[in-house]
Amino acid sequence: MKKCFLILMMLGLPLSASAVEQTAFTIRSTEIKKQPYSDAQTLATLPDKASVKIVLRKGGWVSISSAQGSGWVKMLNLRSNSTGEERGDNGLRSLFNMGRSGSSGITVATGVRGLSEEDLKTASPNPDELAKMKNFAVSQAQAEKFARVGKLNSQTLDYIPAQ
Amino acid sequence: MYKRTILVTGLVLAFTGTAAAFDFDWQKALKVGGETLQKVQAANKTVDEAQEIELGQGIAANLLGTSPLLDNNRVQLYVNDVGRWLSLHTERPNLPWQFGVLESTDLNAFATPGGTIFVTKGLLMNLSNESELAGVLAHEMVHVLSKHHLAALQKSARMDLAGDLANEALKDRAGPILDKAVKAGTEVYARGLDKSDEFEADRKGIIIATRAGYDPYGLPAVLQMLDAANAQDSSLALMFKTHPAPRARLNLLDKIMADNFDNYRAPVQTDKRFLAALAQVK
Ligand SMILES: [Zn+2]
Repeated sequence: MKKCFLILMMLGLPLSASAVEQTAFTIRSTEIKKQPYSDAQTLATLPDKASVKIVLRKGGWVSISSAQGSGWVKMLNLRSNSTGEERGDNGLRSLFNMGRSGSSGITVATGVRGLSEEDLKTASPNPDELAKMKNFAVSQAQAEKFARVGKLNSQTLDYIPAQ
Repeated sequence: MYKRTILVTGLVLAFTGTAAAFDFDWQKALKVGGETLQKVQAANKTVDEAQEIELGQGIAANLLGTSPLLDNNRVQLYVNDVGRWLSLHTERPNLPWQFGVLESTDLNAFATPGGTIFVTKGLLMNLSNESELAGVLAHEMVHVLSKHHLAALQKSARMDLAGDLANEALKDRAGPILDKAVKAGTEVYARGLDKSDEFEADRKGIIIATRAGYDPYGLPAVLQMLDAANAQDSSLALMFKTHPAPRARLNLLDKIMADNFDNYRAPVQTDKRFLAALAQVK
């Protein structure tokens, strides 16, 4: 737990109050890495359909513990074990969802639902809100400044053709 | 409808030898069928950008009629900053892109023709960082770039509406034909798009987010979250009804991304400002 705490601190992530145990399984043979990088040292190899406990997610990598050892594995090598259905009505608990609070499970927002199928079929326009929305639009120059402040660098890559 | 027109025309041709035995004018039928066909084909080509934007604004006003904007200027501006930056990495950077957070607690996101994108407060609150937000917005933006809703509308609308669109009737702003198109257009959001359009939005969305400097795994992470969520929950009902299963979408991205996206990382500054911008949202 202390180690978890340290990792969270290092990543600048908020601490989780509720450490819900999250599990997943591998969909192929998967290397456990010492760090969240493909060229990091391989500590062990998980077989297909191995069960793992999720500790933390960072981008495309997930920190796990398992019978075969602990370390980092690629997120898309894992699938959720549960669909959440058994967790009941209030059970918007979700694997992989670290959320803003750092706690696992879907955060239920307070407020009005709206946007049901029926709502959409009988919708009437709200021009005032549309006018308000225009005020928040930003210019290209503003967006470029926002990217600079965030240290975002443009990359060149093509779309992947449909397979 | 398009297919049916061809079918009817084909049937008429098949009976030309014994036309006298049928009491309808096959020549007239052929002519009408041909004209309708032309109209529909024209509709797919001649809805110009101004009309596309006009239609999209009408639909956006309707969506806002079902849920107002979240009353938080900082969050609205922040989402516009992320979205506008993404738009500069697309093939249509000069559309009047605008982004809005809806007050709704549902988990969903929408795109309307011409560049208006919505994300709900319910979804936003379940995202972890700016790269995930970028992934969601980029997915929606592909629907605009590829005119998916326009195509869905034209496919589903009655012939006269498709014909009206072709007649540039939308230039007559706020006319009854525009109203009709907006209403039919809004209903597309209750039905959803073709699955192939959704997969295309995922496939291209990750590229747009990566081009803009974000973590390519933002969108896959959101899909993992949705895959593990309770599919019976009512706040996910419309999204689950109108999209392919999250697991199918994950499997597709898994296949196309392979090991080719391992070396992209989002700057930590973006994680920090995401948390700061959303701190007041409840
Ligand atoms: Zn979509």
